[in-house]
Amino acid sequence: MSVQVPASISAETVERIAEERDEPEWLLETRLAALEALEDLDLPDVIQTPGNRWTDLESLDFESLVDPLNQADATERSEDTDAVVLPFTEALEEYGDLIEANFGSVLDPQENYLTALSVALFTTGTFVYVPEGVDAEDVTVRAEMNSRSLFSQTLVVTEESSSVTILEGIETGDDVEGERYFSNLVEVAAGENSHVQFGSLQNLDEETYTYALKRGVTDTYATINWIEGNLGSRLTRSDIETDLDGDGSESQIVGAFFGHEDQHFDINARVWHRAENTTADLVTRGVLDDEARSVYEGVQDVGQDAWNTSSYQRENTLMLSDDAEADASPKLIIHNHDTEASHSATVGQVDAEDLFYMESRTIDPITARNMLVEGFFVPVLEEIAVDEFREDLEALVGERLR
Amino acid sequence: MSSEDHIKETDTEARFEFKKEQKSAFQTEKGLTEETIRLISEDKDEPEWMLERRLRALEQYKAMPMPTDWPGQPDLSEVEIDEIVPYIRPDIETRGGAENWDDLPEEIQDTFDKLGIPEAEKKALSGVGAQYESEIVYQNMQEQWEEKGVIFCDMDKAVQEHEEIVKEHFMTKCVPPSDNKFAALHGAIWSGGSFVYVPEDVTVNMPVQAYFRMNSEGMGQFEHTLIIAEEGSEMHYIEGCSAPKYSAFNLHSGGVEVFVGEDAHVQYSTVQNWSKNTYNLNTKRAIVEENGRMEWISGSMGSKATMLYPSTILKGRGASDNHITIAMAGEGQDIDTGAKVYHNAPETKSTIESKSIAKDGGRTNYRGLVHIADGAENSSTAVECDALMFDNESTSDTMPYMEINESKVDVAHEATVGKIGDEDIFYLQSRGLDDDDAKQMIVSGFIEPITEELPIEYAVELNRLVELEMEGSLG
Repeated sequence: MSVQVPASISAETVERIAEERDEPEWLLETRLAALEALEDLDLPDVIQTPGNRWTDLESLDFESLVDPLNQADATERSEDTDAVVLPFTEALEEYGDLIEANFGSVLDPQENYLTALSVALFTTGTFVYVPEGVDAEDVTVRAEMNSRSLFSQTLVVTEESSSVTILEGIETGDDVEGERYFSNLVEVAAGENSHVQFGSLQNLDEETYTYALKRGVTDTYATINWIEGNLGSRLTRSDIETDLDGDGSESQIVGAFFGHEDQHFDINARVWHRAENTTADLVTRGVLDDEARSVYEGVQDVGQDAWNTSSYQRENTLMLSDDAEADASPKLIIHNHDTEASHSATVGQVDAEDLFYMESRTIDPITARNMLVEGFFVPVLEEIAVDEFREDLEALVGERLR
Repeated sequence: MSSEDHIKETDTEARFEFKKEQKSAFQTEKGLTEETIRLISEDKDEPEWMLERRLRALEQYKAMPMPTDWPGQPDLSEVEIDEIVPYIRPDIETRGGAENWDDLPEEIQDTFDKLGIPEAEKKALSGVGAQYESEIVYQNMQEQWEEKGVIFCDMDKAVQEHEEIVKEHFMTKCVPPSDNKFAALHGAIWSGGSFVYVPEDVTVNMPVQAYFRMNSEGMGQFEHTLIIAEEGSEMHYIEGCSAPKYSAFNLHSGGVEVFVGEDAHVQYSTVQNWSKNTYNLNTKRAIVEENGRMEWISGSMGSKATMLYPSTILKGRGASDNHITIAMAGEGQDIDTGAKVYHNAPETKSTIESKSIAKDGGRTNYRGLVHIADGAENSSTAVECDALMFDNESTSDTMPYMEINESKVDVAHEATVGKIGDEDIFYLQSRGLDDDDAKQMIVSGFIEPITEELPIEYAVELNRLVELEMEGSLG
């Protein structure tokens, strides 16, 4: 089902965005092609079971959410690193050819309606480039959203045997009346034997609708590890995906979410094994309070030529409230028998015996519950190698529990 | 000869593959029109309300689109309803099924002899129904059950003789024709099948069996099974299916409705061995009252494509469900099967165990849904899917869906996919088994947790079918 293209968007809008930023011709053409494709594109797929559509994207009112010419953000990027870290627009000047060669190679701008909208209108984002053999310091990107709508486009290119850790934090800055829309596209092209860790912590205010699609492609022996923490937004649709294209490449997708009030999280982790000797590990843990709802889809797709694949997936949801709802669909699509694949998913509440034990140790019920919730996130936190990121996530979880 | 020996000593392929001359007393034209439905209803001398239900289902069928958008679903583009003969009444004297095998025409008698049905009846069953093409040709039950008020009869006969109870339960609250396109199709042209009624507190201690045989090329079989188990009763229903292979496609679209009363227990077992030109698109559903228990045991070996997800609605407090599923797909087969459970009351429990084997380019998929409604507190569900793959031409998918609207629950899903262990094979070979036997033994071991739940005759049958599927196909 395609969606009405908002009246505020036209070729002139897109041309103006590109002109203001003095962009090269190829990028303007890519933007215009995305704009033109809008009317034929569908919203991202949403799981549908008899009588139940898991996420309602159709009712998003892009007409009122999208305000393309008034986008504003305040973004800080770390400077003391031997990787190239630049605002996307600035990077075009010096790294234009490299960007042109990689832009859209991982993530087709015309993948769906929301990606096309994002490519046509983006005004912010980051370009990270790690040259061959460089073992870069951690890169941090702290973004504040200061407008009704914001479209961000990030590209990460790592050359042979390089490594980098990128941590992205997204929050709301200035108050804007009414509902907002944030779109975040991230492409990672991981070169041979390079190692990329991309962490993202989303804590936007709860009148924001967030769409995030992050996809990486691995070359031979490359590793892409994703960490994704989602606490903010009214509705979050987040897709984290890795294409294991190179022999011996690996990916880990670690996710954590904590919903309260009427928040809705649509969390997706997908991995495609397309080469030999690849490994994937998907770990997601979420907590739901009040009337929050979570939807999870995990896909492990093993191609016909993906010999000697190892692929694992775990998803656990903890329900703190009777009015919460947790839906999950972990999927295995296996076309090669030389595979060891498993997945598991659970939904439950705080263990009554654990609670009782702690209360018998004179811990009051609320503190006891909070400790158990913090404990529930430990298996995910343990996967996070960067202290700063782990502490931030812990702090946000702690805040929500108070 | 015992039925077990009979099964062992008869070449399995020969037992299923034989074809009889296509003889009928009455058959409709190909395709589906209002006129066809009126003809079927008239030929069966049905009450007006049943004709009306058929016609309404036909309208619903026409209004619904063919399912095409399920992720990874089997290709149904070949299924042209206008190409099949929906109704064939075999040439027999007795309507509603003979009570004596000897009263049947020789070729029909011979068919069921070859399938081993009369043998099994003598040994291990409380009653047998046998359907040939669109009609039940044989129906019999031991007298002791009749005396206790158990009814086991041809569905068409039940429409006449137990009209009120059928009218209340037939495709009304359990599987309405609006459920899906093939349920609607079924509602329009159903024919044959069984009606089972077990009165309060009666335990039918030996299984009742129905066997469905399609003999003609290009036909559709649409039998309807309605089981009503009253409070505190217990019964086990077994269905077997087969057909010889033709080049044109056959369609099987059965409907099964089970009403499990308070504290009642129904087990429904299926060993499906349709020929590999058959599309097997069924709707099976049970509604379970307080503390009742429903068990679905399904072995899907045959068919070109199967889409079957037996479902259970746990309606009463403390009701429980158990699904056991084995699917095996070889060359050209797409077996898309699984389970659906709706937990609509507190303290309900479900367990689903699925085992699948994909080889020689076949595809298996576990597709399942567990829904826990708000208020169904202290419910629990455990789903376990294991898949075995033989080669990289085959596909093994697992697509579970969980919808949890209640916090006081225990929900767990696990799945694994793997290949046959080289070490296991090596070990067995070191014990003097050849490669084929070793693999066969590993497969038998893989499905054993499921076969051991079946009565011995069916476990043997299932193992034989698995062996047959494995023969000569392993490299």
